[in-house]
Amino acid sequence: MGEEQVVREIGHDEYDPKGTLALIGVYFVILLVMWVFMYFVEFLGNELTVV
Amino acid sequence: MNIHNYEKIWLMAAILLIVGFISTVTYGATAVGVDMISDDGGTVNASALDEDPRFSEPRVEQVGENEYEAYVIAQQFIFRPDPITVPANSTVTFFVTSPDVIHGFEIVGTNANAMVVPGQVTELTVEFNEPGEYGLLCHEYCGAGHHTMEGSVVVQPQDEFTQGGDE
Amino acid sequence: MMSEALETGTPSFMDRFPQEAAVVRASLISSFIALFLGAVFGLIQALHRTDVFRFLDSQYYYTVLTAHGVLMVVSFTIFFLVGVFTWATVRSLDRPLVDIRYTWAWYGLMAIGTLMAVVAILGGFIPSTDISADVLFTFYAPMQAHPLFYGGLAIFIIGTWLAGADYFRAWYAWKQEHPDERIPLQTFMVLTTMLMWYIATIGVAIAVVVFLLPWSLGLLDSVNPLLTRTLFWFWGHPVVYFWLMPAYLLWYTVLPSISGGRLFSDPLARVVFVLFLLLSTPVGIHHQYVDPGIAEGFKMIAMTNTMFLLLPSLLTAFTVVASMEHGARQRGGTGLFGWLRALPWRNPAFTGMALAGLMFAAGGFSGMVNAGMNINYLVHNTIWVPGHFHLTVGTAVALTFMAATYWLWPQVTNKPIFSRPIALAQVVLWFVGMALMSNAMHVMGLFGVPRRTAEPQYQGFDFVASFGSITELRMQLALGGTLLFLSTILFVSNIALSTGSPRMSGLGKPLSEPLSPAADSPKVLDNLTLWFGIAMVLVVLAYILPLASIITDSGIVDPGVRPVPMLVDAANGLGPISAVTDAASRVVAAVVGVVP
Repeated sequence: MGEEQVVREIGHDEYDPKGTLALIGVYFVILLVMWVFMYFVEFLGNELTVV
Repeated sequence: MNIHNYEKIWLMAAILLIVGFISTVTYGATAVGVDMISDDGGTVNASALDEDPRFSEPRVEQVGENEYEAYVIAQQFIFRPDPITVPANSTVTFFVTSPDVIHGFEIVGTNANAMVVPGQVTELTVEFNEPGEYGLLCHEYCGAGHHTMEGSVVVQPQDEFTQGGDE
Repeated sequence: MMSEALETGTPSFMDRFPQEAAVVRASLISSFIALFLGAVFGLIQALHRTDVFRFLDSQYYYTVLTAHGVLMVVSFTIFFLVGVFTWATVRSLDRPLVDIRYTWAWYGLMAIGTLMAVVAILGGFIPSTDISADVLFTFYAPMQAHPLFYGGLAIFIIGTWLAGADYFRAWYAWKQEHPDERIPLQTFMVLTTMLMWYIATIGVAIAVVVFLLPWSLGLLDSVNPLLTRTLFWFWGHPVVYFWLMPAYLLWYTVLPSISGGRLFSDPLARVVFVLFLLLSTPVGIHHQYVDPGIAEGFKMIAMTNTMFLLLPSLLTAFTVVASMEHGARQRGGTGLFGWLRALPWRNPAFTGMALAGLMFAAGGFSGMVNAGMNINYLVHNTIWVPGHFHLTVGTAVALTFMAATYWLWPQVTNKPIFSRPIALAQVVLWFVGMALMSNAMHVMGLFGVPRRTAEPQYQGFDFVASFGSITELRMQLALGGTLLFLSTILFVSNIALSTGSPRMSGLGKPLSEPLSPAADSPKVLDNLTLWFGIAMVLVVLAYILPLASIITDSGIVDPGVRPVPMLVDAANGLGPISAVTDAASRVVAAVVGVVP
């Protein structure tokens, strides 16, 4: 099992989750682009405007 | 409370995202003018639709220049009238109700998409441009024959359009 | 394979709390039976609606769909929940439950309720009886099911209420022994989730006990369909979080340990669960954006609440990934993304949960679209919606539960999992199957293909695909559904075969402590009365006016609306029992034809 393979202890103050920040930044950009596409292209560009 | 700086950055980004979503929807509702279905359609006696001035005769009628009203009944497992015929370049307000169970009202592949609840009247205004034909389907399970419940919306060129019920 | 675990020799949950372990086992087994049956029905649906293989008359599709929905999202999820919550409460309080007979009583009520509802649903397959409940998971009136269905649902929910009270009793007893301590994190998560559940179930309890059950018994002539529908969704959205919270509990408290690290922040985990308690319920009207009889303003309020409900999930994404990254770096991982390689990808419990989390990120996006008020016109009641919730409840929840089982099961049975390689293949297969099925569903939804329909192939029109083709997407859906079914079979048989593993001791797995402990957070976070009070106020604010306006406009009951019992037409098509034998003989003939 994986739990036992700790090669170094990292405490709270010495840990900056920079990989997490990078990953979640990528997610943020994907969300933004997809939202704009869904709302303005798929929805507002779709046939029959409801007024 | 001990919150890491990165987490604060993400918290701000997340709030920004949420506010952005709400703003987009508000823009659609105001600047673009997409109205939601609301309680404007009023209520109706579901067991006496044949005595109701709006639904005794399902039909499309003209109410102004290029403005029409369509009174539609969704019931197990048909739409009335079928087809629903409307003129091109018009604004049509659909009033839809049901005498039996809950149904759906979806003009296929478009944004005209609503629920139909017995006792309630769904009011939905749609702009039609080009002539053509759309499918109409029920998208809420309504019984053993639900999958056969379909109809059509025919958009006729304005000069060919004849008014009235199509039953 | 399990040798390291043996060497650590930590006493397992079963060693320490054998009576509670028996309840956890019973709950999990009930959950897996529901999962297996639900998967059988799911496969029938995937093949039927795509027209790949149809052996039942289409009217029975809706019986199949009702069974799939109820078994998966009521029985599978909630039985698993009470199993995990019982384990988490006892483990984190480190004390047994107050009275195990009481514990078995609520389990018994839940089991009886489930059996009643399942009998009513399966009655739909036997046209000669008048028992049927072909009303789907949402049971919208005036479609009417047999009283057994509503009665079973009510008893099941009472069982869950008593389960919640059991956790509160255990916590209360613990508090007497530990007056000045913070609530242990897992117990905190259990209690806030149960408080949310008490608020949420007010809606469905009124709908079922006050209206639908008396109405199905003939004591009430009519109901107001918009009112019962609104009460349903009062419960129908927070129930989503009831499914999700045990998965969150596992992500926050188990996943960091199996990643080799520690939870990044205990205080933020508490904040997240408080936010769910506050915001889960006053949002249900977002399921009714295109309903008549509800003013636009109320829909706008529901949307605002729903959008802010994204916050705790987005915060969770950060905290959980950061905890995994902590594990990876402790295991020697380096670089901006290179640490991902240092994660224990060979461990099925880890890989399953990580893939579940990844799919939740995608499901989160389609959920954001569903939450957007007017964009709902684009997707409402199309197959996009089941595409969405198969990513959330169908993967984020279900795959996390299965993955966690590989970790938890040995600790409540003292028997190792039969095969870890099969377990690893199983979680990956689920991910692949769901990626195919859900992608096809989302895309077809955008072309207007409806959900909940036996034959989404119409006489008068065709769906127009702006990219790909409808046939191709149908095949993708059917293939994905088949892989998911195979994955379920692998899971269920792996667990069943594990009962044959030799019994051993020392299978316990300790959980690591958070990097930032509870002591870093303000004590007010643990004031459950305060949060419950605020949550109630928010619910009243969100619902009092819409409900009052529905009742003013169309009455507590609407005399114009007559009940429509959902009974199948026996004269129409092949009965299901002969259809099954007929299908079996056709499958056998096909196999014999291929294999000479």
